[in-house]
Amino acid sequence: MSLITILVLAAALIGIGLYGALSQQSFVMLMMGLELMLNGTMLAAVGFWAYTAAGVPEGQLLTIIVMAVMAIEMAMGFALVVAVYRGKQADVTEALEGFRH
Amino acid sequence: MDLMLSVIAVLATLSVGAYAVAVIDRICGVAMGGEATGGAGVHDRRNPFLAPLSRAAALWLAPPHVTEAPDAAGWRLAPVLYLTLAGMGLAVVPWSETFVPVDLATGIVLWGALEPLATVLIFLHGWSPNSHLPLLGGYRYVAVGLSYILVSMFVLIAVALPAESLQVSAVVESQQELWNVVRQPLGLPLFLIVGLGISFWGPLDFADSNDLAGGTSAESSGRALLVWQFARIAMLVSFSAIAASAFLGGWMGPLLPGPIWLVIKMVFILVLLLVLGRLLPRLSPERFMTLAWTVLLPLAFVDLVWAGLEALS
Amino acid sequence: MTAVDLAFLLNAAIAVYSGWRVFRTDSMVRASFLLLISFLAVGAIMLLLGAVYLGVAIFFMMAVEMMIMALFMVMFMMNPAGLNPMNMVHQERISAAAGVLAFVALGAVAVFGEFPSRPKPEGLDVVARLGHELLGDSMLVFESAGVTLLATMIGVVVMSSRRGRYGDANEGSVPPGLEPGGEPAGQPPDDDDEEHGCH
Repeated sequence: MSLITILVLAAALIGIGLYGALSQQSFVMLMMGLELMLNGTMLAAVGFWAYTAAGVPEGQLLTIIVMAVMAIEMAMGFALVVAVYRGKQADVTEALEGFRH
Repeated sequence: MDLMLSVIAVLATLSVGAYAVAVIDRICGVAMGGEATGGAGVHDRRNPFLAPLSRAAALWLAPPHVTEAPDAAGWRLAPVLYLTLAGMGLAVVPWSETFVPVDLATGIVLWGALEPLATVLIFLHGWSPNSHLPLLGGYRYVAVGLSYILVSMFVLIAVALPAESLQVSAVVESQQELWNVVRQPLGLPLFLIVGLGISFWGPLDFADSNDLAGGTSAESSGRALLVWQFARIAMLVSFSAIAASAFLGGWMGPLLPGPIWLVIKMVFILVLLLVLGRLLPRLSPERFMTLAWTVLLPLAFVDLVWAGLEALS
Repeated sequence: MTAVDLAFLLNAAIAVYSGWRVFRTDSMVRASFLLLISFLAVGAIMLLLGAVYLGVAIFFMMAVEMMIMALFMVMFMMNPAGLNPMNMVHQERISAAAGVLAFVALGAVAVFGEFPSRPKPEGLDVVARLGHELLGDSMLVFESAGVTLLATMIGVVVMSSRRGRYGDANEGSVPPGLEPGGEPAGQPPDDDDEEHGCH
């Protein structure tokens, strides 16, 4: 368990999350991809805190802020999903026409 | 060696404690004029010491029930994982000044984390059989359970304030002069409500209630049901351990060794919980949610402010 | 290979595998609980790294978040239990390529980058230092996060409440057409002419 292995694991989680966020049609699954990416980011932050930052508390603070960001993103994301469904009865990204080029 | 002792201590406590809870519950039921557990009827004259064992044996031999297209992995895993949560909760409780199975520096936060994880497992147990009544039981529990997660966290933070640490052993040692039940009088009643909730017992039995014909256990039978009931009771036992440690001074006491005092206090909390389980009626979920958000949560805030003021002075 | 290394490898394998299975499983409720397993594995790795508060906070927060995610899966996905196989993906090759590229790029940074080596000192009281930092020098960050969460809560309630300022939020909403741009599916709205049948 060294810095390199932790960062590779974090990179793997970010890669899988990116694949999921870009490939899923459904809004909820897309958000799960974003959650995975933030998961990888948090792990990388804690890895850096433990190995390169001599345990300064700002490392943990960054992770706590990212957790708060995850909570906010999920809450807003679900509210938007509900609002979009009510307005357009759309639960997949393919059903929305607004930004289509 | 230490690891072996810890594992044996936790497993033995859960097993013996579960048996003790079943016995005490039957005795309470008969003494208070209600029916014994298991729906055996009002005049249950069976020996209360043998009846839990015979019921466990009957469940062990009963055939498992199958439903159409269940989530088989989730259905079988949920009781086992719930039992694991009970074990995890018990593992952070100190038995004496030197013996703590897992002395986690954030044991108090772990106890706060066990309630949401239990919510996930109870929902999984209700979702997996692919049947209506278990699903309703699971959903009801999630809706109500979110209400007292916050209460549990605030009460535990209030207990951690005089200890100036999140370690359960430090919380126990901070009660040298005065127990937390006296220092923070609102804490223990609120925490008992949380305990009834995390093992969905008695008045807070929204998951397995009899108005849902058994709720999340409606389709369970046989060994899966046995493990689920055992896990519920085990959760009650480990909750009593943390309640005794956080509010009644844990292993501290004059003459007897530490573990004996902890067991005495655990039995006291268990009897209290079981009597409350028989005494209080189960409110409807809407009423309980109103009660939780408008009464219990402000009381938890008051408890926290009280603890803060006391810590500052 | 110490016990810590073994535990790390096990948790890493669980995190990656369950993260991968999230997007490959048919059952949507299982997908959210697989994501929870991935998060719990990452939380366990944080505990192994010594961030005791963060690991347990991850258990706590992600359990609640994935519970809510499972409820939303049941609400919005057509196949929450995975009883039919389904594959709702679009631009799959591009996203797979993007994922692999991200992994390779970040992995290259991880392997070839030169990071300073300042390991955590022994005997560091992690939780106490975090507490002093949160309520001391970084109090502003903490408080603004709290206010942001409050704003989020208000925004979420406003966006999802049914009572709008000008009427019910659902008013006038009709199901989408069976072909794009066609008539709304389902029954047409009631005409007032039906009262003629009364006399």
